[in-house]
Amino acid sequence: MAGAYMMSMGEAHRRILEYLNRFSDAVSTQDGKSLSRLLSISSDSHHLLSLADALNTFQDANRLIRQSEEYSQYADILLPIFRALQSYRLRNLVESYQAFEKASNAFIQEFRNWDSAWALEALYVLAYEIRVLAEKADIELASNGKTPEKLKGAGSLLMKVFSTLAGKGPKRVGALYVTCQLFKTYFKLGTVHLCRSVIRSIETARIFDFEEFPVRDKVTYMYYTGRLEVYNENFPAADHKLSYALSHCDARKEANIRMILKYLIPVKLSIGILPHAQLLENYNLNEYSNIVLALKRGDLRLLRHALQEHEDRFLRSGVYLVLEKLELQVYQRLLKKIHIIQKQKDPNKAHQIKLEIIVKAMKWLEMDMDVDEVECIMSILIYKNLVKGYFAHKSKVVVLSKQDPFPKLNGKPVSS
Amino acid sequence: MAERGQPFRQARGGVTRRNLPSSRSSFFTKSATRYQPPQNRNLNIRRNAQHMDSSFNSPNGNDRDNSDNRSWIKDAADVIDEENNLPSLVGTCPFMCPVEERLQRERLRDLATFERLDGNPGKSSSNLAVKKFCRTISTSELQVSDVRPLSVLEGTLNHLFNLFHSSEHPFEVVHDFIFDRTRSIRQDLSMQNISNNRAITMYERMVKFHIISHQKLHRSSSSPNVSSLLYLNLEQLTKSLMTLFNLYEANRISHSIYDNEPEFCSFYVLLQIHPDSKGEPLSLWFCNLPSAIMKSKQMCFARNLLRYFRLGNYKRFMLMMKSEASYLQCCIVEPYINEVRALAVSCLNQAGYKLQPFPLADLSNLLLLQESDVESFCNECGLETSSDEVGKRILAPKQSSFFHPRKGFQKYYPIHSDGLQRVSINLLDL
Repeated sequence: MAGAYMMSMGEAHRRILEYLNRFSDAVSTQDGKSLSRLLSISSDSHHLLSLADALNTFQDANRLIRQSEEYSQYADILLPIFRALQSYRLRNLVESYQAFEKASNAFIQEFRNWDSAWALEALYVLAYEIRVLAEKADIELASNGKTPEKLKGAGSLLMKVFSTLAGKGPKRVGALYVTCQLFKTYFKLGTVHLCRSVIRSIETARIFDFEEFPVRDKVTYMYYTGRLEVYNENFPAADHKLSYALSHCDARKEANIRMILKYLIPVKLSIGILPHAQLLENYNLNEYSNIVLALKRGDLRLLRHALQEHEDRFLRSGVYLVLEKLELQVYQRLLKKIHIIQKQKDPNKAHQIKLEIIVKAMKWLEMDMDVDEVECIMSILIYKNLVKGYFAHKSKVVVLSKQDPFPKLNGKPVSS
Repeated sequence: MAERGQPFRQARGGVTRRNLPSSRSSFFTKSATRYQPPQNRNLNIRRNAQHMDSSFNSPNGNDRDNSDNRSWIKDAADVIDEENNLPSLVGTCPFMCPVEERLQRERLRDLATFERLDGNPGKSSSNLAVKKFCRTISTSELQVSDVRPLSVLEGTLNHLFNLFHSSEHPFEVVHDFIFDRTRSIRQDLSMQNISNNRAITMYERMVKFHIISHQKLHRSSSSPNVSSLLYLNLEQLTKSLMTLFNLYEANRISHSIYDNEPEFCSFYVLLQIHPDSKGEPLSLWFCNLPSAIMKSKQMCFARNLLRYFRLGNYKRFMLMMKSEASYLQCCIVEPYINEVRALAVSCLNQAGYKLQPFPLADLSNLLLLQESDVESFCNECGLETSSDEVGKRILAPKQSSFFHPRKGFQKYYPIHSDGLQRVSINLLDL
């Protein structure tokens, strides 16, 4: 028993009764905040830890609960909560989760019967604990060489919690919080396709009005749905959602802002918008510094180098493929620079660029490209409207339009 | 020994079979003559599996290899076909096909060409009959004597792949048979929760089969039903591949990777070139791959090829296909290479200078097409080819008639490259 000091039976008895009283008081006075504090097992609060010690000392909480009608009516919740606490204290995380699951099911039943939304805060804590305890249980299973499957079960249980809130009454404003717990669960499991059904419920069900939900939950929701759009490379949608999350996020929550920016920056780059170097500095996102520089300079070598340097990090966050595609914009920028240089030498002929010059520029950047490949790149830039003009195959020359030869993206991604 | 008079029961929920071309022989009848093992049998065909093994070239004698049996990771069970609610068991059927089923199908004349003894549609043998795939199997009707243990399954797979190179029959016929029978093998494997190294080897072989079929079916695009065969083959290719990945993961010791794992991961990446590819977004899939795999030669090839595809760098794409693609990688990509060719032609047509046309000889090198094929390819895209003043064939750009053939190309345009012809001659053993 880690850290448990020796408690007297009397003391243990007292502590358990204190909890039971708090519980029944919270319910009878409809005090959601107090009730929520009694459920947050993983918080390691002093109060709950010493209760756990008391339970492990006293060993017969069942008798205490059955003593009084006040407590015994909630036995189905209280007994498994106690077991969960005890197991948690003894570091039996799998047993702790299993007991908490039972408690949750019983709590949901009671919650359905309570009229107003007074207990929402407690339900939030319940949802949070379901996820967190399941994660811990899975770590324990994996370390014992078994298949981790508790988090997957937690997903089903959370869906159940969600459905108790999917009704017309005042409880429905809690649905978004539970949705976010579901998102976190599915993202952790890697089963993000399961997000689809709950997203559909939130966005299409008539009972939900998105504006009614608490801001904190809307930010989290937009963050996760924005990330999904990034995975699917829907950049306009990703921009909209992640920007919403950014603008509504509490400015003091720097860690959260950083998380949003981590995904928003690649999206913005894809639609031609560059962040200020100061922003990257402030939020410690320096892995993007060289990429931004490469786009500004038209330096393909720098882009490839930056991708290689932070490859693992970009792969893990899922933005690598997005960043790879920035190559076309880098080519555009390089061509623009060559054009500017030529204009300084001879403004009348500047709009004609020999492919050989581009090959030379590539060589200078240590990029091995022959004239055929340069021609290919030119044709694709023209095709995708990053360059206005045409190229002459035999003369090996690209002829730029005199008007606006390098159209800006204007907030739209490169056409595919 | 089947008991006569045993009532034959239809598979529950009915049977859906794909429509087969009428030109085929009737070994796949449309009526639901689905084999269902009768209940309450008193048969006892528990034989010494060791005795049977000699005819099947199995590496180990012992088919009761329980040492590595562990339960599937849940995802694996989800990926396997509809029959995943079955309990784990150990099969005892010593033949490639359970006796009951063989006798029944003999009676019903439901034997595939390859199962017929001397061409007799009503007679087979234990060396020829192979258990069919059954979509609906309820737990109560399942008999261990209908399920083939691991070494029998290995032998069955050997038998099937020996048939693969049979040139007497049209490829679609061979493919269809092996497609169905390997699906049944996978079903038996999953019913017994076999997830060890031997299962990995079997899955690798089956994935290769689907990949080669993928290319060969595309080549025989003359037949009317090929598109449904292609779709189904792609579906099973993807399913088997995902199961294989779960097997690799389930058997992983610390952070090591399997020898063939990078190659098979590269196949998954290359499949994403297909416009209809489903499955999770690649970015998500990459998140969890071990670094050793991401940096492997095969994965780098696939990732680079995909990058060139996404960027539209058709020159490098074609170059890589010609010089670096393995035979199997080629099989996967070849059916979609027309997308890249069409893009190239479209770009050249749009961005080119009207008075400086492209010699078809140049296009032939670029697009990996024979010069005659370049002509028909351009024509299929609505572009006219012509001759210059010395009679050389050319393509003049800025034609407004270009269109992308929506229903696909009429002709099949293989990858024309000397290097590749050599590779494909060394057709690898499945």
